[in-house]
Amino acid sequence: MYLYDPIDREFLIDRSNEFRHQVARRLAGELTEDQFKPLRLMNGLYLQLHAYMLRIAIPYGSLNARQARRLAWIARTYDKGYGHFTTRQNIQFNWIKLKDAPDILDALAEVDLHAIQTSGNCIRNVTADPYAGATAEEIDDPRVWSEVLRQWSTLHPEFSFLPRKFKIAITGALTDRAAVKVHDIGLILRKGRDGAIGFEVIVGGGQGRTPYVGPTIRSYLPAEHLLSYVEAILRVYNRHGRRDNIYKARIKILVAALGAEEFARQVEEEWGKIDHARANLPASELARVRAAFAQTRFEALPAVSDAFETARAASPALQRFVRNNVKPHKQPGYAIVEVSLKAIGQTPGDATAEQLEVVADLAERYSLDDLRVTHAQNLVLPHVRLDDLPAVHAALEAAGLATANIDLASDIIACPGLDYCALANARAIPIAQDIARKFADPDRAEKVGELKIKISGCINACGHHHVAHIGILGVDKKGEEFYQLSLGGSGAEDASIGRILGPGLSADKVAPAIDALVDRYLDIRAGDERFLDTYRRVGLEPFKEAVYAQAD
Amino acid sequence: MKAITANRLIDGEVVFWKAGAWVEGFGDAQLFGEGQDAEVEAVVANGKAQPTVVVDVYPIDLAPVDGGLAPISYRERIRALGPTNEPTHGKQAVGGEVIEALRHAAGAARSTGRVDLIRRK
Repeated sequence: MYLYDPIDREFLIDRSNEFRHQVARRLAGELTEDQFKPLRLMNGLYLQLHAYMLRIAIPYGSLNARQARRLAWIARTYDKGYGHFTTRQNIQFNWIKLKDAPDILDALAEVDLHAIQTSGNCIRNVTADPYAGATAEEIDDPRVWSEVLRQWSTLHPEFSFLPRKFKIAITGALTDRAAVKVHDIGLILRKGRDGAIGFEVIVGGGQGRTPYVGPTIRSYLPAEHLLSYVEAILRVYNRHGRRDNIYKARIKILVAALGAEEFARQVEEEWGKIDHARANLPASELARVRAAFAQTRFEALPAVSDAFETARAASPALQRFVRNNVKPHKQPGYAIVEVSLKAIGQTPGDATAEQLEVVADLAERYSLDDLRVTHAQNLVLPHVRLDDLPAVHAALEAAGLATANIDLASDIIACPGLDYCALANARAIPIAQDIARKFADPDRAEKVGELKIKISGCINACGHHHVAHIGILGVDKKGEEFYQLSLGGSGAEDASIGRILGPGLSADKVAPAIDALVDRYLDIRAGDERFLDTYRRVGLEPFKEAVYAQAD
Repeated sequence: MKAITANRLIDGEVVFWKAGAWVEGFGDAQLFGEGQDAEVEAVVANGKAQPTVVVDVYPIDLAPVDGGLAPISYRERIRALGPTNEPTHGKQAVGGEVIEALRHAAGAARSTGRVDLIRRK
């Protein structure tokens, strides 16, 4: 993994000291709230319903054990003993006091973490495939390019005051685990005809109140031109993106207004004016960053592990875990292990300090000191030896972290919703808990198969409801929570925006409605169709009937 | 009925106005009835003049419920309670009648989200 150098570390300490002074001036009345708010937001500190919330950047969702332990310590010392992983691979703490925030930033800086650019109209934390460096599918390691973009975009003077926030996601694999088509910029690593590496560049995807699957504006950009090309995109956006209306300020609105072709033409024109030698990363610097990720020391192992096969044969629980949570690794004798933060009845994406310490220990001992966060609010141990899988599974089981439900109906994405968030109209977490209980029987969940349910407590769509197989949006009707269901979205490589099923439902009717949708799917599915495939074949009507028809 | 709420600057805690001070419990909040709009405005103005103590000062509407009064908006009930997914976190941890009344309050929406909209043939 990438490690900070002394300059990076000095910078973080300076930044933390600066914020300490800003907080002191605010508390002394030398800064007004209007003056202070943008400063605290630049350091990831929001005021939510019950307390301040601190959002900490986890660059491309990658942590080492020391960092995970420090997050656990912060949870215990400054929060109520837990943290919440977000749909952008970050972590949020919900019970932070303003007076403690500078101390927390100091504690983060000690382990090369920070909260810079986790809020505000700047380039946010770059997200990437959580299987990076582990999956055999990938053309190149997206962490290398994420790190390049991270360094380039951090405090970039030209792009610190964009019309609106700006999110970039990268995948090196064709299976999209980073939702690249619904980001401001999505980058897919591609192999060129000459065997060189490049990017498919997608711009103007997004969710929120106007969801778009982003169009591709360049099917192949040679990789060495990444920075100059992204600079050109951001320049066009910075110049022409709307600043008069917050709801029309994201780049997706500009791309849709101009049309993808015209937007692409303007980007190419701007790109032509840029001095590429100045803007692009020198090959030596790219090599330095790449080397940081090339140091994974895999052992030469046989592809089959007798120890694992013996343990698996004896344990139905391990068999189930392997079916759902263990994915193939590029290196013989290794596996990728997903750690579900979606135990039935738990808050999706929450981890207690103790659980964070357990996964930190496992990452250190069994996964080459590497831990990942997924945009689906789960964790990943990317490099586990098959020999060690039984021990890892047992340790996860003891910590309540072995729920075998990755991508199943109970693996629900949910934003914090009205339980915490100042923007929310309705709760998301209790709805997720209700639905998960319907699929508590793991046999039923597996019979249903891949089903991505995602819940947002407001139209800002942090819970990705637009791109869910079954999306749920919370709305407020005269002080009561209602929920609008939509079907047929996908945030993966087959991206699409869901369609609204029918009138909103009260909170207690949501889980039964999901049940009815799933029962209808089981009745009509053909072969091994996923829920999404069946929906795409039959459309909305059979599902609408299942939820809204009068009982006989 | 109305009460006046804010968040405390130093820690973000939800607070309510009570006769010259900011208190943490909804049950302790000073209540303002019909015809006290001028008092409500004065308290809000006073709160806004205490920028090093509180932020986001505003009045909330209350309605009678079983066991007392509760904010009409669900958001305000959650602010007065704490997160519903963690029943031991936030103000609700103290328990008692006021907390129970808040937990069981409902909003003003008439519809219950009808699902029997399609007649089966």
